[in-house]
Amino acid sequence: MNVIAAIKAYVVKMTSDSEPGMKVLLMDKETTSVVSMVYGQSEIQQKEVFLLERIDSPNYANSSGLRYLKCLVFLRPTQQNIELLCTELRNPKYGAYYIYFSNIVAKADIKILAENDEQEVVKEVQELYMDYLAVNPHLFSMGIPMCLSSTASEITWNHSALQRTIQGLISVLLSLKKSPIIRYQSNSKLARDLGNRIDETMNKESSLFAFGPSGQSLLLILDRRDDPITPLLNQWTYQAMVHELLTINNNRVNLSGIPGISKDLPEVVLSAEQDAFYAKNIFMNYGEIGQNIKQLMDQFQAKAKSHQKIESIADMKNFVDSYPQFKKLSGNVTKHVTVVGELSSMVNKHHLLDVSEVEQEISSQNDHSAHLASIKKLLHNDKIRHTDAAKLVMLYALRYQNQSNNELSSLIDLLYKRGVSDKLIKYIIYLLEYAGSHARQSNLFNVENAVKITKRFFKGLSGVDNVYTQHKPLLHDTLEDLIKGRLKDNLYPVVGNHSSGLRSQDVIVFIIGGATYEESLAVHTFNKNYPNFNILLGATNIHNSTSFLEEVENAFRGVDMLIRRHTRHIRNVKFDTK
Amino acid sequence: MAENNDIQEGFLCPICHKDMRSPNNLITHFQDLHSEEQEFLKSIKEVYGKAKKKILKLDEQDIQNFKELTLNKYHIEYSEPQDPDRLLRTFGSDRKQQEQELVAWLDGSTVTRCPSCASSFNIARRQHHCRLCGCIMCNSCSYFLPYDVAQTIVAPVTNVSDREHSGKETDSLRTCVHCLNMLESRRKVQIEQMKKPTIWHLYLLLQSNKKQIQSSVDLYNKMYNSLTAGETTFLLQDVQALRLSIAEKAQMIETLGKKIASEPIDPEMPKAVLLQNNIWKATSNYIKDSLLTLPAPPTVQELEKIRERFSRMFQDDLPPQSAPAVKKVTVTTGWSPANISNDAIKGDQDDNPLIEQMNIVRNYITQARQAHRFEEVASLEENLRMLKETYRKQLKS
Repeated sequence: MNVIAAIKAYVVKMTSDSEPGMKVLLMDKETTSVVSMVYGQSEIQQKEVFLLERIDSPNYANSSGLRYLKCLVFLRPTQQNIELLCTELRNPKYGAYYIYFSNIVAKADIKILAENDEQEVVKEVQELYMDYLAVNPHLFSMGIPMCLSSTASEITWNHSALQRTIQGLISVLLSLKKSPIIRYQSNSKLARDLGNRIDETMNKESSLFAFGPSGQSLLLILDRRDDPITPLLNQWTYQAMVHELLTINNNRVNLSGIPGISKDLPEVVLSAEQDAFYAKNIFMNYGEIGQNIKQLMDQFQAKAKSHQKIESIADMKNFVDSYPQFKKLSGNVTKHVTVVGELSSMVNKHHLLDVSEVEQEISSQNDHSAHLASIKKLLHNDKIRHTDAAKLVMLYALRYQNQSNNELSSLIDLLYKRGVSDKLIKYIIYLLEYAGSHARQSNLFNVENAVKITKRFFKGLSGVDNVYTQHKPLLHDTLEDLIKGRLKDNLYPVVGNHSSGLRSQDVIVFIIGGATYEESLAVHTFNKNYPNFNILLGATNIHNSTSFLEEVENAFRGVDMLIRRHTRHIRNVKFDTK
Repeated sequence: MAENNDIQEGFLCPICHKDMRSPNNLITHFQDLHSEEQEFLKSIKEVYGKAKKKILKLDEQDIQNFKELTLNKYHIEYSEPQDPDRLLRTFGSDRKQQEQELVAWLDGSTVTRCPSCASSFNIARRQHHCRLCGCIMCNSCSYFLPYDVAQTIVAPVTNVSDREHSGKETDSLRTCVHCLNMLESRRKVQIEQMKKPTIWHLYLLLQSNKKQIQSSVDLYNKMYNSLTAGETTFLLQDVQALRLSIAEKAQMIETLGKKIASEPIDPEMPKAVLLQNNIWKATSNYIKDSLLTLPAPPTVQELEKIRERFSRMFQDDLPPQSAPAVKKVTVTTGWSPANISNDAIKGDQDDNPLIEQMNIVRNYITQARQAHRFEEVASLEENLRMLKETYRKQLKS
């Protein structure tokens, strides 16, 4: 169950099925990101694909073609794409067409295409199930930043997001050849809806899902609302940290907005597939990365030095021989030094270590008065970013929502005094409405306590626990329960009449509302610690705190916040009348 | 629409174009005024009938054959592949029916006007059917696909030799404008696909070179690994020679790539620029990543050091084994000992078959080396070594 390998195999199939020759790859917006997640342009050029085109770009229809090229068409089977493809086939720009759809395509659509293929240019039509973004071998995303909307009484699926998620998950299952038993989080209507729809589709397409015993697996559908804490925390592992502070979008990090960064690096690509240093350090923590990058620099400098003294012809020859590697290394070094440098300057400038320590304590310990005091202390520190201040209050609000001497109102007043924007303060309310204790079925804080305290006691003795990585996401506990067969049937019921007794070693966990890189790390360590199990994490999106809060806010767009159901007692946040 | 042609409607007299307002009026008008022209009409009809007969004689098998092929391609819904024998047997008067079996003709009873020029049908302007799609039009809107052109469209027909009707070149098929256009555009596509630009040929050459070089690279890596592991299967000089040949090929690829990039560009095809540049980029990347990164073979001194180290290790680890007494020379290649010079075999050694054998193998090795087949050189060297071993033992005993 390696999604990157699955997508790569499909791309190889696509380029090799179409016989040798110069090729152009015609894609739409979404399939472009699917392919670009695993292949760089220079890699795909080695597969004879020399041109990339977007069928949905406005000037594509008027552009000229080259008849001696073969055209690989890789599209999602949407109505719009079928129409565009029909126009293309009626006036073909290229010599031959090999059409690949990223998902199950309707027979009627195939017929329409055949009718429009007047000049018989289509050589092949296939379904290659890659309708999702493969982020890491064990992590995939649907790339839907906002998947929720809400009615007056509850949060529901955004209709098109639900459709897209179903299609994406179906293609994940088909590409991995799994026909899983589905379990879902029982208190979440979102999870139940998705589970039922997936089951329906699997029954409808039962011939496609006949994988026999090797298809046995479990699909566990969870709701982000059960754990709103994880996406709020500052992260300290490389991938997670870059995403939280600089934002990774389809493996690309945009550096253009950062002052003092050289103009040659407006955007860097961080892909574990192409970059060995990144692959090695993706789950390393901040301290280790610093060391590794120093090593990398030393290595590079040693190489550079040896290149400086070119005296004899032999030296020159050596230089020419190793120059390509040298240049590659140099590009890589510059990239990581820039990224890590930026991270460390942000950490220092905004006192993120102090913030993170308090965040970690709130999320994993129980000491109301001490936490309140440290939050207040940080709120008075004007080096702290407004967003971090607001996030601390959010954590407090979630953590001590039902505490009798809750001082949320006074903290909110403090935020106003700091000059924190209205928008950020409103996030606190949205968040409580979204995932307050009414929306959670697992007890995010208390249950862990007894266990955690003893655990910490032992860890404290050996002295290895890192104060910045105390927090374990809820997913960690859920997976542990699952592996030990303790996941309760009433909390995680099965869709349909299957029995939950069947324990499968292949587990696909899907989080509605987005996963985080911290959870990805948890799954990664799980796979390492339990080699018998094979866990794959998926989500509607990979969130950092900013995108998570935006999604939460978006879910309440168009809802009258004056009639709030769960936060009416918080009076000092003003909402406009609609 | 063509309004300047004065399209008239109603019950028109075909001869004087007067509108008679009702069928009865038209009939009486015709009988009263144009009865003297009846003779003329009859003669027209006769000519028409003759023409019809001529068309009828069109070689049945051929027309059906042609249609079957085109129909299979264009009108899958209509075509029912037919038994050619049966088509041959049914001949003559029911030709029209046979045609209609292949292409269902539109029912003409409700069609009063030509769909493409809107003139109404009457005795003089008769309905005609497209033989390819079965739609209706008038004679002036009909197009004719000459029989020989039709043949070239279905050129890949297998039974070219079966054609015994060379005299029918003047025959043609009646088609509508749509079908003709479609055939025309299809023909254009075919022609364009046949027409390959220079860049296409260059690319083909580039790819075949790349393929060759890739197999050399694989072999080189294998030889290099074996060499640096202290094995003596391959000779250093062979490795060097192979590296040289790879470098030559790399140069060749580079020139090809550059040539593609500098190929003159059709100003109407801006994409070609990008394509050519990308091919060049991919080629140079390929050279950089897979060819320039090849490790240089160790120098003679280095190699000796490696061998020494390994042989010491070997001696430390295992007591010297008695060499296996295998004498068999496995010659899998097609070299013959034809050009072994007899001078190689000297005097009193003649009688020893082992010497002779060794000389043959040595000869093979030189030949294999010249052909750059280093894996075979390696296996032959192995054979030679075993032969020497046995020979030495023989001398001792």
